[in-house]
Amino acid sequence: MASEIDIYNQYPLYMEPSTKALSLPTSSAQTPSQTAAINTELEELNQLHRALISLDPPNIPPAPLPINPKRSAQISKLRDSANAAHRKSNYDEAIKLYSYAIDMGLSRPGWEPVGVAREELSGLYANRAQAHMALQAWPEALVDAKASVDSKPVGNVKAWWRIAKCLAEMSRYEEARKFLHKSLDIEGKDSEGGKELFALLREVDRALLRGLSA
Amino acid sequence: MFDVDWLSLAVPIAYLGILLGSLATFSSLYRKRKAHKAASLEPWFPAHLQRDIYFSLLHLEPSTTSTKEKKAPAIPDSIFKASLLRRAAEDIRRIMALRSQKQALTTLVQRGSVGDDLWQRFQRAEKEMEDEVKDVVTEANAYVPGWGQTIFQSANEMMNNDIYRKRMDDQQKKLEEERQWWSKKKTSIQEGFMKELNEGSTASTDEAKTTSTTTKSFEAASTTPAAGTSVQGSDDDAVLVEAENSNTPASPQSAKKKKSKGKK
Repeated sequence: MASEIDIYNQYPLYMEPSTKALSLPTSSAQTPSQTAAINTELEELNQLHRALISLDPPNIPPAPLPINPKRSAQISKLRDSANAAHRKSNYDEAIKLYSYAIDMGLSRPGWEPVGVAREELSGLYANRAQAHMALQAWPEALVDAKASVDSKPVGNVKAWWRIAKCLAEMSRYEEARKFLHKSLDIEGKDSEGGKELFALLREVDRALLRGLSA
Repeated sequence: MFDVDWLSLAVPIAYLGILLGSLATFSSLYRKRKAHKAASLEPWFPAHLQRDIYFSLLHLEPSTTSTKEKKAPAIPDSIFKASLLRRAAEDIRRIMALRSQKQALTTLVQRGSVGDDLWQRFQRAEKEMEDEVKDVVTEANAYVPGWGQTIFQSANEMMNNDIYRKRMDDQQKKLEEERQWWSKKKTSIQEGFMKELNEGSTASTDEAKTTSTTTKSFEAASTTPAAGTSVQGSDDDAVLVEAENSNTPASPQSAKKKKSKGKK
Protein backbone atom coordinates (compact mmCIF):
# COMPACT_ATOMS: atom_id res chain seq x y z
CA MET A 1 0.00 0.00 0.00
CA ALA A 2 2.78 2.37 0.89
CA SER A 3 4.20 1.92 -2.54
CA GLU A 4 0.86 2.48 -4.21
CA ILE A 5 0.27 5.79 -2.55
CA ASP A 6 3.56 7.07 -3.87
CA ILE A 7 2.61 6.43 -7.47
CA TYR A 8 1.50 9.48 -9.38
CA ASN A 9 1.61 11.02 -12.83
CA GLN A 10 4.24 13.65 -13.24
CA TYR A 11 3.22 16.73 -15.16
CA PRO A 12 5.87 19.14 -16.38
CA LEU A 13 4.36 22.21 -14.74
CA TYR A 14 5.77 25.65 -15.07
CA MET A 15 5.45 28.60 -12.72
CA GLU A 16 5.56 32.19 -13.89
CA PRO A 17 8.13 33.64 -11.47
CA SER A 18 6.55 37.07 -11.18
CA THR A 19 2.86 36.20 -10.98
CA LYS A 20 3.38 32.80 -9.37
CA ALA A 21 0.79 31.43 -11.76
CA LEU A 22 1.14 27.81 -12.75
CA SER A 23 0.74 26.62 -16.28
CA LEU A 24 1.35 23.58 -18.41
CA PRO A 25 3.87 24.05 -21.22
CA THR A 26 2.25 23.46 -24.57
CA SER A 27 4.81 20.97 -25.81
CA SER A 28 4.01 18.16 -23.40
CA ALA A 29 2.98 14.64 -24.13
CA GLN A 30 -0.65 14.66 -23.01
CA THR A 31 -3.74 14.06 -25.05
CA PRO A 32 -5.79 17.17 -25.81
CA SER A 33 -8.54 16.21 -23.39
CA GLN A 34 -6.01 15.66 -20.64
CA THR A 35 -4.38 18.97 -21.36
CA ALA A 36 -7.73 20.70 -21.18
CA ALA A 37 -8.51 19.06 -17.84
CA ILE A 38 -5.14 19.99 -16.43
CA ASN A 39 -5.46 23.54 -17.63
CA THR A 40 -8.88 24.05 -16.07
CA GLU A 41 -7.61 22.53 -12.85
CA LEU A 42 -4.57 24.80 -12.87
CA GLU A 43 -6.81 27.76 -13.51
CA GLU A 44 -8.84 26.93 -10.40
CA LEU A 45 -5.67 26.31 -8.46
CA ASN A 46 -4.30 29.71 -9.41
CA GLN A 47 -7.53 31.36 -8.35
CA LEU A 48 -7.45 29.58 -5.04
CA HIS A 49 -3.85 30.55 -4.61
CA ARG A 50 -4.64 34.21 -5.13
CA ALA A 51 -7.40 33.92 -2.57
CA LEU A 52 -5.02 32.30 -0.11
CA ILE A 53 -2.36 34.95 -0.58
CA SER A 54 -4.82 37.65 0.36
CA LEU A 55 -5.34 35.99 3.74
CA ASP A 56 -3.35 36.74 6.83
CA PRO A 57 -0.42 34.47 7.53
CA PRO A 58 -0.18 31.51 7.89
CA ASN A 59 -2.21 31.70 4.68
CA ILE A 60 -4.51 28.82 5.33
CA PRO A 61 -8.28 29.02 5.18
CA PRO A 62 -9.69 29.52 8.65
CA ALA A 63 -12.19 27.10 10.08
CA PRO A 64 -15.61 27.58 8.47
CA LEU A 65 -17.02 29.19 11.57
CA PRO A 66 -16.99 31.94 12.67
CA ILE A 67 -17.09 33.76 9.35
CA ASN A 68 -15.42 37.02 8.58
CA PRO A 69 -18.08 39.69 9.24
CA LYS A 70 -16.55 42.23 6.86
CA ARG A 71 -18.10 40.93 3.67
CA SER A 72 -21.47 40.29 5.28
CA ALA A 73 -21.54 43.87 6.51
CA GLN A 74 -20.71 45.19 3.04
CA ILE A 75 -23.39 43.08 1.44
CA SER A 76 -26.06 44.09 3.90
CA LYS A 77 -25.10 47.72 3.41
CA LEU A 78 -25.51 47.37 -0.35
CA ARG A 79 -28.81 45.63 0.17
CA ASP A 80 -30.07 48.38 2.42
CA SER A 81 -29.26 51.08 -0.10
CA ALA A 82 -30.84 48.98 -2.83
CA ASN A 83 -33.97 48.58 -0.75
CA ALA A 84 -34.06 52.33 -0.24
CA ALA A 85 -33.77 52.88 -3.99
CA HIS A 86 -36.57 50.39 -4.55
CA ARG A 87 -38.78 52.21 -2.09
CA LYS A 88 -38.18 55.43 -3.99
CA SER A 89 -39.28 53.58 -7.16
CA ASN A 90 -35.80 53.99 -8.56
CA TYR A 91 -35.84 50.45 -9.88
CA ASP A 92 -32.87 50.63 -12.27
CA GLU A 93 -30.68 51.85 -9.46
CA ALA A 94 -32.04 49.15 -7.15
CA ILE A 95 -31.30 46.44 -9.72
CA LYS A 96 -27.77 47.72 -10.13
CA LEU A 97 -27.15 47.73 -6.40
CA TYR A 98 -28.69 44.30 -5.94
CA SER A 99 -26.47 43.01 -8.73
CA TYR A 100 -23.40 44.37 -6.96
CA ALA A 101 -24.49 42.70 -3.76
CA ILE A 102 -25.14 39.42 -5.58
CA ASP A 103 -21.72 39.52 -7.20
CA MET A 104 -20.18 40.14 -3.84
CA GLY A 105 -22.11 37.27 -2.32
CA LEU A 106 -21.08 34.96 -5.14
CA SER A 107 -17.44 35.86 -4.72
CA ARG A 108 -17.39 34.82 -1.09
CA PRO A 109 -14.35 32.64 -0.55
CA GLY A 110 -15.22 29.00 -1.02
CA TRP A 111 -14.28 27.83 2.44
CA GLU A 112 -17.00 29.85 4.09
CA PRO A 113 -20.11 27.87 4.92
CA VAL A 114 -22.38 27.43 1.94
CA GLY A 115 -25.44 27.93 4.11
CA VAL A 116 -24.52 31.54 4.74
CA ALA A 117 -24.12 32.25 1.05
CA ARG A 118 -27.40 30.54 0.22
CA GLU A 119 -29.37 32.47 2.80
CA GLU A 120 -27.90 35.77 1.73
CA LEU A 121 -28.24 35.22 -2.00
CA SER A 122 -31.78 33.88 -1.84
CA GLY A 123 -32.87 37.18 -0.32
CA LEU A 124 -30.90 39.22 -2.82
CA TYR A 125 -32.20 37.32 -5.82
CA ALA A 126 -35.76 37.60 -4.57
CA ASN A 127 -35.39 41.33 -4.12
CA ARG A 128 -33.87 41.78 -7.54
CA ALA A 129 -36.74 39.79 -8.98
CA GLN A 130 -39.12 42.19 -7.35
CA ALA A 131 -37.33 45.17 -8.86
CA HIS A 132 -37.42 43.51 -12.28
CA MET A 133 -41.11 42.86 -11.85
CA ALA A 134 -41.70 46.50 -11.08
CA LEU A 135 -40.14 47.24 -14.47
CA GLN A 136 -42.24 44.47 -16.05
CA ALA A 137 -39.07 42.67 -17.09
CA TRP A 138 -40.71 39.29 -16.60
CA PRO A 139 -37.98 36.98 -17.96
CA GLU A 140 -35.31 38.59 -15.80
CA ALA A 141 -37.56 38.46 -12.79
CA LEU A 142 -38.43 34.85 -13.47
CA VAL A 143 -34.80 33.78 -13.64
CA ASP A 144 -33.95 35.63 -10.44
CA ALA A 145 -36.92 34.26 -8.57
CA LYS A 146 -36.02 30.76 -9.68
CA ALA A 147 -32.45 31.28 -8.48
CA SER A 148 -33.78 32.46 -5.15
CA VAL A 149 -35.99 29.43 -4.74
CA ASP A 150 -33.13 27.19 -5.75
CA SER A 151 -30.98 28.75 -3.05
CA LYS A 152 -33.57 28.37 -0.37
CA PRO A 153 -36.68 26.36 -1.17
CA VAL A 154 -38.25 26.43 2.27
CA GLY A 155 -39.52 29.60 3.89
CA ASN A 156 -39.29 31.57 0.69
CA VAL A 157 -42.95 32.18 -0.14
CA LYS A 158 -42.32 35.51 -1.80
CA ALA A 159 -39.94 34.06 -4.34
CA TRP A 160 -42.34 31.20 -5.13
CA TRP A 161 -45.14 33.66 -5.62
CA ARG A 162 -42.95 35.78 -7.89
CA ILE A 163 -42.10 32.85 -10.11
CA ALA A 164 -45.75 32.05 -10.57
CA LYS A 165 -46.65 35.67 -11.11
CA CYS A 166 -44.01 36.12 -13.80
CA LEU A 167 -45.14 32.99 -15.56
CA ALA A 168 -48.74 34.10 -15.40
CA GLU A 169 -47.81 37.49 -16.79
CA MET A 170 -46.15 35.79 -19.71
CA SER A 171 -49.34 33.70 -20.05
CA ARG A 172 -47.53 30.46 -19.27
CA TYR A 173 -50.34 29.34 -17.01
CA GLU A 174 -49.57 25.64 -17.02
CA GLU A 175 -46.09 26.24 -15.67
CA ALA A 176 -47.36 28.79 -13.20
CA ARG A 177 -49.84 26.29 -11.84
CA LYS A 178 -47.16 23.65 -11.50
CA PHE A 179 -44.97 25.99 -9.50
CA LEU A 180 -47.87 27.10 -7.33
CA HIS A 181 -48.79 23.54 -6.44
CA LYS A 182 -45.19 22.79 -5.64
CA SER A 183 -44.84 25.83 -3.46
CA LEU A 184 -48.05 25.02 -1.61
CA ASP A 185 -46.69 21.54 -0.97
CA ILE A 186 -43.46 22.91 0.40
CA GLU A 187 -44.70 25.89 2.33
CA GLY A 188 -48.01 24.50 3.50
CA LYS A 189 -51.34 26.19 3.16
CA ASP A 190 -51.25 27.94 6.51
CA SER A 191 -47.91 29.59 5.98
CA GLU A 192 -47.44 33.31 5.92
CA GLY A 193 -48.00 33.83 2.22
CA GLY A 194 -50.29 30.87 1.70
CA LYS A 195 -53.26 33.11 1.10
CA GLU A 196 -51.50 34.99 -1.66
CA LEU A 197 -50.41 31.77 -3.27
CA PHE A 198 -53.97 30.54 -3.24
CA ALA A 199 -55.27 33.75 -4.71
CA LEU A 200 -52.78 33.53 -7.53
CA LEU A 201 -53.61 29.88 -8.06
CA ARG A 202 -57.28 30.72 -8.46
CA GLU A 203 -56.42 33.42 -10.95
CA VAL A 204 -54.24 31.07 -12.94
CA ASP A 205 -56.88 28.38 -12.92
CA ARG A 206 -59.43 30.83 -14.19
CA ALA A 207 -57.09 31.87 -16.99
CA LEU A 208 -56.53 28.24 -17.89
CA LEU A 209 -60.24 27.56 -18.00
CA ARG A 210 -60.72 30.55 -20.20
CA GLY A 211 -58.03 29.27 -22.53
CA LEU A 212 -59.81 25.94 -22.77
CA SER A 213 -63.30 27.29 -23.27
CA ALA A 214 -62.36 29.99 -25.75
CA MET B 1 24.08 -49.99 10.97
CA PHE B 2 25.32 -46.70 9.66
CA ASP B 3 24.79 -47.42 5.97
CA VAL B 4 21.41 -49.04 6.54
CA ASP B 5 20.24 -45.84 8.17
CA TRP B 6 21.11 -43.74 5.10
CA LEU B 7 19.21 -45.93 2.79
CA SER B 8 16.06 -46.12 4.88
CA LEU B 9 16.15 -42.36 5.57
CA ALA B 10 16.47 -41.43 1.93
CA VAL B 11 12.87 -42.28 1.19
CA PRO B 12 11.17 -40.07 3.85
CA ILE B 13 13.61 -37.25 3.19
CA ALA B 14 12.87 -37.38 -0.51
CA TYR B 15 9.18 -37.51 0.27
CA LEU B 16 9.42 -34.47 2.52
CA GLY B 17 11.53 -32.62 0.00
CA ILE B 18 9.09 -33.19 -2.84
CA LEU B 19 6.12 -32.29 -0.67
CA LEU B 20 7.61 -29.03 0.60
CA GLY B 21 8.94 -28.15 -2.81
CA SER B 22 5.60 -28.60 -4.51
CA LEU B 23 3.81 -26.68 -1.78
CA ALA B 24 6.28 -23.82 -2.08
CA THR B 25 5.93 -23.63 -5.87
CA PHE B 26 2.19 -23.78 -5.65
CA SER B 27 1.97 -21.03 -3.06
CA SER B 28 4.37 -18.75 -4.88
CA LEU B 29 2.56 -19.29 -8.17
CA TYR B 30 -0.80 -18.74 -6.54
CA ARG B 31 0.30 -15.55 -4.85
CA LYS B 32 1.89 -14.22 -7.97
CA ARG B 33 -1.25 -14.85 -9.94
CA LYS B 34 -3.42 -13.24 -7.30
CA ALA B 35 -1.20 -10.18 -7.12
CA HIS B 36 -1.24 -9.93 -10.87
CA LYS B 37 -5.00 -10.18 -10.92
CA ALA B 38 -5.38 -7.52 -8.25
CA ALA B 39 -3.01 -5.23 -10.09
CA SER B 40 -4.78 -5.72 -13.38
CA LEU B 41 -8.13 -4.73 -11.86
CA GLU B 42 -9.28 -1.42 -13.10
CA PRO B 43 -9.04 1.37 -10.54
CA TRP B 44 -12.37 2.60 -9.22
CA PHE B 45 -11.70 6.23 -9.90
CA PRO B 46 -9.91 7.89 -12.79
CA ALA B 47 -6.51 9.42 -12.15
CA HIS B 48 -6.45 11.83 -9.25
CA LEU B 49 -5.52 14.97 -11.11
CA GLN B 50 -5.21 17.23 -8.09
CA ARG B 51 -2.97 14.75 -6.35
CA ASP B 52 -0.83 14.38 -9.46
CA ILE B 53 -0.39 18.11 -9.66
CA TYR B 54 0.50 18.35 -6.00
CA PHE B 55 3.17 15.70 -6.31
CA SER B 56 4.39 17.15 -9.58
CA LEU B 57 4.90 20.44 -7.80
CA LEU B 58 6.77 18.74 -4.99
CA HIS B 59 9.07 17.04 -7.44
CA LEU B 60 9.34 19.89 -9.85
CA GLU B 61 13.09 20.23 -9.62
CA PRO B 62 14.61 16.81 -9.40
CA SER B 63 18.02 18.19 -10.39
CA THR B 64 18.45 19.98 -7.11
CA THR B 65 18.51 17.95 -3.91
CA SER B 66 15.04 16.95 -2.95
CA THR B 67 14.89 18.66 0.41
CA LYS B 68 12.10 21.11 0.91
CA GLU B 69 14.37 23.95 1.97
CA LYS B 70 16.00 23.92 -1.43
CA LYS B 71 12.77 24.29 -3.30
CA ALA B 72 11.04 26.77 -1.06
CA PRO B 73 12.38 29.83 -2.92
CA ALA B 74 11.34 28.40 -6.27
CA ILE B 75 7.73 27.59 -5.42
CA PRO B 76 6.15 29.45 -2.53
CA ASP B 77 4.47 27.51 0.22
CA SER B 78 1.16 29.12 -0.55
CA ILE B 79 0.98 27.30 -3.86
CA PHE B 80 1.54 24.01 -2.10
CA LYS B 81 -1.17 24.87 0.35
CA ALA B 82 -3.59 25.79 -2.40
CA SER B 83 -2.76 22.62 -4.25
CA LEU B 84 -3.24 20.56 -1.10
CA LEU B 85 -6.62 22.16 -0.57
CA ARG B 86 -7.69 21.27 -4.08
CA ARG B 87 -6.52 17.76 -3.41
CA ALA B 88 -8.55 17.57 -0.21
CA ALA B 89 -11.64 18.82 -2.03
CA GLU B 90 -11.29 16.11 -4.64
CA ASP B 91 -10.79 13.55 -1.87
CA ILE B 92 -14.04 14.57 -0.29
CA ARG B 93 -15.84 14.22 -3.57
CA ARG B 94 -14.47 10.72 -3.92
CA ILE B 95 -15.27 9.72 -0.37
CA MET B 96 -18.84 10.90 -0.83
CA ALA B 97 -19.07 8.90 -4.02
CA LEU B 98 -17.76 5.79 -2.26
CA ARG B 99 -20.15 6.23 0.61
CA SER B 100 -23.16 6.59 -1.61
CA GLN B 101 -22.17 3.60 -3.71
CA LYS B 102 -21.36 1.29 -0.83
CA GLN B 103 -24.90 0.49 0.21
CA ALA B 104 -26.08 -0.39 -3.24
CA LEU B 105 -22.97 -2.38 -3.99
CA THR B 106 -23.19 -4.51 -0.83
CA THR B 107 -26.74 -5.55 -1.61
CA LEU B 108 -25.78 -6.35 -5.16
CA VAL B 109 -22.81 -8.44 -4.03
CA GLN B 110 -24.91 -10.26 -1.42
CA ARG B 111 -27.44 -11.18 -4.03
CA GLY B 112 -24.68 -12.22 -6.32
CA SER B 113 -25.81 -9.85 -9.02
CA VAL B 114 -22.33 -8.47 -9.63
CA GLY B 115 -18.97 -10.13 -9.84
CA ASP B 116 -16.53 -10.45 -7.00
CA ASP B 117 -13.87 -8.38 -8.69
CA LEU B 118 -16.13 -5.35 -8.62
CA TRP B 119 -16.27 -5.70 -4.87
CA GLN B 120 -12.50 -6.08 -4.73
CA ARG B 121 -12.03 -2.98 -6.78
CA PHE B 122 -14.35 -1.12 -4.48
CA GLN B 123 -12.54 -2.25 -1.37
CA ARG B 124 -9.24 -1.28 -2.84
CA ALA B 125 -10.58 2.16 -3.64
CA GLU B 126 -11.79 2.49 -0.06
CA LYS B 127 -8.41 1.54 1.30
CA GLU B 128 -6.68 3.93 -1.03
CA MET B 129 -8.91 6.78 0.02
CA GLU B 130 -8.20 6.04 3.67
CA ASP B 131 -4.48 6.26 3.06
CA GLU B 132 -4.97 9.33 0.94
CA VAL B 133 -6.86 11.14 3.67
CA LYS B 134 -4.22 10.26 6.24
CA ASP B 135 -1.55 11.51 3.89
CA VAL B 136 -3.31 14.81 3.32
CA VAL B 137 -3.75 15.34 7.04
CA THR B 138 -0.07 14.75 7.76
CA GLU B 139 0.94 17.03 4.91
CA ALA B 140 -1.38 19.75 6.17
CA ASN B 141 0.00 19.46 9.66
CA ALA B 142 3.47 19.76 8.23
CA TYR B 143 2.64 23.14 6.69
CA VAL B 144 0.78 24.61 9.63
CA PRO B 145 0.39 22.71 12.89
CA GLY B 146 -3.25 21.93 13.51
CA TRP B 147 -4.37 22.53 9.94
CA GLY B 148 -5.05 18.83 9.56
CA GLN B 149 -8.13 19.18 11.73
CA THR B 150 -9.79 21.83 9.61
CA ILE B 151 -8.54 21.19 6.10
CA PHE B 152 -11.31 18.77 5.29
CA GLN B 153 -13.96 21.02 6.76
CA SER B 154 -12.74 23.81 4.53
CA ALA B 155 -12.52 21.49 1.56
CA ASN B 156 -16.05 20.28 2.14
CA GLU B 157 -17.42 23.79 2.20
CA MET B 158 -15.44 24.60 -0.90
CA MET B 159 -16.96 21.69 -2.70
CA ASN B 160 -20.49 22.59 -1.66
CA ASN B 161 -19.92 26.19 -2.60
CA ASP B 162 -18.67 25.09 -5.97
CA ILE B 163 -21.78 23.06 -6.58
CA TYR B 164 -24.00 25.91 -5.48
CA ARG B 165 -22.21 28.48 -7.65
CA LYS B 166 -22.52 26.22 -10.62
CA ARG B 167 -26.25 25.90 -10.10
CA MET B 168 -26.68 29.63 -9.82
CA ASP B 169 -24.64 30.02 -12.96
CA ASP B 170 -26.90 27.60 -14.78
CA GLN B 171 -29.95 29.49 -13.60
CA GLN B 172 -28.59 32.77 -14.88
CA LYS B 173 -27.60 31.20 -18.17
CA LYS B 174 -31.25 30.56 -18.93
CA LEU B 175 -31.87 34.30 -18.88
CA GLU B 176 -30.88 34.90 -22.48
CA GLU B 177 -33.15 32.15 -23.69
CA GLU B 178 -36.09 33.40 -21.66
CA ARG B 179 -35.49 36.93 -22.82
CA GLN B 180 -35.46 35.98 -26.47
CA TRP B 181 -38.58 33.91 -26.08
CA TRP B 182 -40.38 36.77 -24.38
CA SER B 183 -39.29 39.42 -26.86
CA LYS B 184 -40.47 37.23 -29.68
CA LYS B 185 -43.76 36.65 -28.00
CA LYS B 186 -44.13 40.29 -27.10
CA THR B 187 -43.61 41.46 -30.66
CA SER B 188 -46.07 38.89 -31.88
CA ILE B 189 -48.61 40.13 -29.37
CA GLN B 190 -48.03 43.71 -30.36
CA GLU B 191 -48.30 42.89 -34.02
CA GLY B 192 -51.51 41.11 -33.30
CA PHE B 193 -52.89 44.14 -31.55
CA MET B 194 -51.80 46.50 -34.28
CA LYS B 195 -53.37 44.30 -36.92
CA GLU B 196 -56.57 44.11 -35.00
CA LEU B 197 -56.62 47.85 -34.52
CA ASN B 198 -56.24 48.33 -38.26
CA GLU B 199 -58.96 45.80 -38.69
CA GLY B 200 -61.32 47.77 -36.53
CA SER B 201 -60.87 50.96 -38.55
CA THR B 202 -61.19 49.51 -42.03
CA ALA B 203 -63.52 46.68 -40.97
CA SER B 204 -63.93 44.60 -44.10
CA THR B 205 -64.53 40.88 -44.08
CA ASP B 206 -61.78 40.13 -46.56
CA GLU B 207 -59.16 41.75 -44.38
CA ALA B 208 -60.48 39.98 -41.35
CA LYS B 209 -59.61 36.77 -43.07
CA THR B 210 -56.01 37.82 -43.64
CA THR B 211 -55.60 38.83 -40.02
CA SER B 212 -56.89 35.56 -38.83
CA THR B 213 -54.16 33.84 -40.80
CA THR B 214 -51.35 36.16 -39.75
CA THR B 215 -52.26 36.23 -36.09
CA LYS B 216 -52.71 32.51 -35.99
CA SER B 217 -49.87 31.66 -33.68
CA PHE B 218 -50.39 34.42 -31.19
CA GLU B 219 -54.10 34.41 -30.82
CA ALA B 220 -53.73 32.93 -27.36
CA ALA B 221 -50.83 35.22 -26.64
CA SER B 222 -53.11 38.19 -26.87
CA THR B 223 -54.54 37.25 -23.49
CA THR B 224 -51.33 38.70 -22.05
CA PRO B 225 -51.62 42.46 -22.15
CA ALA B 226 -48.84 44.35 -23.83
CA ALA B 227 -49.02 47.10 -21.26
CA GLY B 228 -51.48 45.77 -18.72
CA THR B 229 -50.51 45.14 -15.11
CA SER B 230 -52.67 42.25 -14.00
CA VAL B 231 -54.10 39.11 -15.41
CA GLN B 232 -57.53 40.43 -14.66
CA GLY B 233 -57.05 43.36 -16.98
CA SER B 234 -55.84 41.15 -19.75
CA ASP B 235 -59.01 39.15 -19.55
CA ASP B 236 -61.10 42.15 -20.50
CA ASP B 237 -58.78 42.95 -23.37
CA ALA B 238 -59.08 39.48 -24.75
CA VAL B 239 -62.83 39.66 -24.60
CA LEU B 240 -62.80 42.97 -26.42
CA VAL B 241 -60.57 41.58 -29.11
CA GLU B 242 -62.81 38.66 -29.64
CA ALA B 243 -65.85 40.88 -29.86
CA GLU B 244 -64.15 42.89 -32.54
CA ASN B 245 -63.20 39.82 -34.43
CA SER B 246 -66.59 38.21 -34.18
CA ASN B 247 -67.31 38.51 -37.87
CA THR B 248 -64.71 35.84 -38.59
CA PRO B 249 -65.88 32.26 -38.36
CA ALA B 250 -65.66 30.84 -34.84
CA SER B 251 -64.40 27.34 -35.45
CA PRO B 252 -60.90 28.15 -36.84
CA GLN B 253 -60.26 30.43 -33.88
CA SER B 254 -60.67 27.76 -31.31
CA ALA B 255 -58.37 25.56 -33.33
CA LYS B 256 -55.77 28.29 -33.38
CA LYS B 257 -55.86 28.67 -29.64
CA LYS B 258 -55.23 25.06 -29.08
CA LYS B 259 -52.38 25.09 -31.50
CA SER B 260 -50.48 27.85 -29.79
CA LYS B 261 -51.10 26.28 -26.40
CA GLY B 262 -49.53 23.12 -27.63
CA LYS B 263 -46.52 24.99 -28.96
CA LYS B 264 -45.46 25.93 -25.50
